[in-house]
Amino acid sequence: MEAFIQYDFLRNAVITGVLIGFTAPVLGVFIVVRRLALITDALSHITLTGIAFHLFLSQTLSILTGLSPVYMGMVFAAAGSLLIEKLRLVYTAYQELAVPIILSSAIGLGVIFISLADGFNQDLFQYLFGSIIAVSRDDLAAVAGITAFVAVVLILFYNQLLFIAFDENQARVSGIPVKSMNLLFIIMTALVIATSMQLVGILLVSSLMTLPVAAALQVAKSFRQMFMYSVIVGESAVISGMISAFYLDVSSGGMIVLAALFLLFSAMMYRRASGRPVYHPGRQKETAAE
Amino acid sequence: MMELTFLERGIIAALCIGLIAPLMGTLLAVRRSSIIADSLSHVTLTGISAGVLIGGTMQFIPVHPLYTGFAFSLAGSLFIEKLRQEYASFQELAAPIILSAGIGLSAVFMSLAPSGQNEWYDYLFGSVVSVGKGDLLFILITFIVSGLLFGLFFKELVFVSFDQEGAAVSGIKMKTINFLFSFLTALVISMSMKVVGILLVGALISLPAAAALQLASSFRALVLWSIVIGEAAVLTGVISSYHLSLATGGSIVVSAALILGAVLAWKPVSARIFSRRNQL
Repeated sequence: MEAFIQYDFLRNAVITGVLIGFTAPVLGVFIVVRRLALITDALSHITLTGIAFHLFLSQTLSILTGLSPVYMGMVFAAAGSLLIEKLRLVYTAYQELAVPIILSSAIGLGVIFISLADGFNQDLFQYLFGSIIAVSRDDLAAVAGITAFVAVVLILFYNQLLFIAFDENQARVSGIPVKSMNLLFIIMTALVIATSMQLVGILLVSSLMTLPVAAALQVAKSFRQMFMYSVIVGESAVISGMISAFYLDVSSGGMIVLAALFLLFSAMMYRRASGRPVYHPGRQKETAAE
Repeated sequence: MMELTFLERGIIAALCIGLIAPLMGTLLAVRRSSIIADSLSHVTLTGISAGVLIGGTMQFIPVHPLYTGFAFSLAGSLFIEKLRQEYASFQELAAPIILSAGIGLSAVFMSLAPSGQNEWYDYLFGSVVSVGKGDLLFILITFIVSGLLFGLFFKELVFVSFDQEGAAVSGIKMKTINFLFSFLTALVISMSMKVVGILLVGALISLPAAAALQLASSFRALVLWSIVIGEAAVLTGVISSYHLSLATGGSIVVSAALILGAVLAWKPVSARIFSRRNQL
C-alpha cells in the first residue's frame, strides 16, 4: 500500500479511479434502465478515433503536441453521440443497426489515422487497455472537473432524468424538455467515457458502466439501492483492480474488469441462493412515490 | 498453394471473407442481433491471447491461436444465450457483459504473454501481409465448412431469422438452428480475424448489410447486394492498404463505410428521380 501514498503518479491514478468508480456506475444505472447499454461501446470506440485523429494531426501541427489527446477524444465522442441519434431516424425499422454502424466506422477510421501517424506503439496500447502510470495531473484535473459537472447535473435534474429513463413518452407529455435532456445526458456520458479512458482503456470503459449495474440488478430491491450497489461494486472493482494490477504487473483495465466480473458472478450466486428474481426497476411503481 | 506470394494469400483470404461475412451479416441484421458479432469478436480475442500465452509458456503443446480463438468464440456465443435468459427484462445487457468479459480477460492474458505488441496489433486491426500458410489453410477450411452449412440450411436459417415463433410452430428444430447460428457466427468471426482484425470484424459483418438494406427490395436482393458490397469493400481495402501501407482492417472498413455513406446519400436523390418518373 505504501507505494500508492509515496508516488505521485500512483496517487493521481487512485484519485482518478475513485472518481470514475463513482460517475461511471451512476450514469450506468440510467443507461441500463434506458436500454442503451450498447451506446457506451460505440462512444468509447469513437473516442479512440478522436485520439487517433489527434495523433495524426499533431504530426503536422506542432501546437497540438503539448495537448492531451483526451480532449480530441471528448470532441469526437460528443459528436458521435449526436450522429447515433441521427442514424436511428434513418433506420427506423432497424434501430439497433445504428450502434454497430457507428462503432465499426469509428474504429475503422481510427485505425487509418493510427497507421498514418505511425502510432502502433506502446502509447496506443495504453489507450486501448488502460494503464495506471499514464494518468497525469492534467488528466486528474479533467476527471475531477467532469465528476463535478456530472454531480451538479444529477442533483439539479435527477427527477427529470429518472422520469425520462422510465417512460419517455409520459415525460414528454408532462412537459419535460426530453430532447435537450437526452442531449445533456448523452454528452455527459461521452465526457465520462473519454476521461475514464486513461485508466481503464477504451476497450474497457463500457464495462465500468454496465457490469456494476448488472451486478446491482441482481441484489437491489429498489431503485435507490440500485445506485448504491452499483457505486459500491464500481468502487471496489476499480480499487482492487488497480492495486492487483500494480503488484501483478498486468494491465489495469483488464484487472478492473475482472474484479467487476467477479463481483457480478458473486451477486448472481447470491441471488440464486436466496431465490429472489432479478430486480426489475419500475415494475413496483416506485417512480410515482419518488 | 505453396508457391503463393503473401499478397496472393492475403487476397484469396480476403475474397473468402468478403463473401461469407456479409452473408452472415444479412441474417444477423434481419434477426436484429448484429451486435452479437461485436461481442463475439472480443471473446475471440480472449481465445487468441490465451492461445498465444499457452504457446509461449508451454511450448510442448502445439496450439494455433486461431483455433483457440474459435473455441472461445463458440463458448461465448452459447454463454450469451444463457445470459439473455438470466436478464429476461434487460436482454440487451448480455452482449456488453460478454464483450467486457472477453476484452478484460484478453488484456490480462496479453500483459502476461511474452509476445510483442506488433503481433497483437495484427490481431486487433488486421494485416493482410501477416496471413501465413497455416492461416490461409484455416481460412479455407472454415470457408468450406461455413459455405456447406449455409447451403444446406439456408431456408431454415432465413425462416428462423424472420419469424422465430412461426418457424417453431412449423416444426423446425429451434435448438439446432439456434446452435447453428452461434456456430456459424463464431466460425465467420474467427476466419476473418487475421485479415480484418478483431475490432473490425463486426464492421465487415454489419456495414454491407446496412447498405444493402437501403437498396434491396427483396430478401434475395438483400443477400446479393451485401455480398457485392462486401467483396467490393474487401478488394479496394486490401489493395489500397497495400499501396498506401495502411492497416488492412481499417481500409476495408473505411471503404465499406464510404459505400454505406454513398448509398445513404443516393437514396433521397433516387427517390426523387423515381417518384418523378412515376408521375409521368
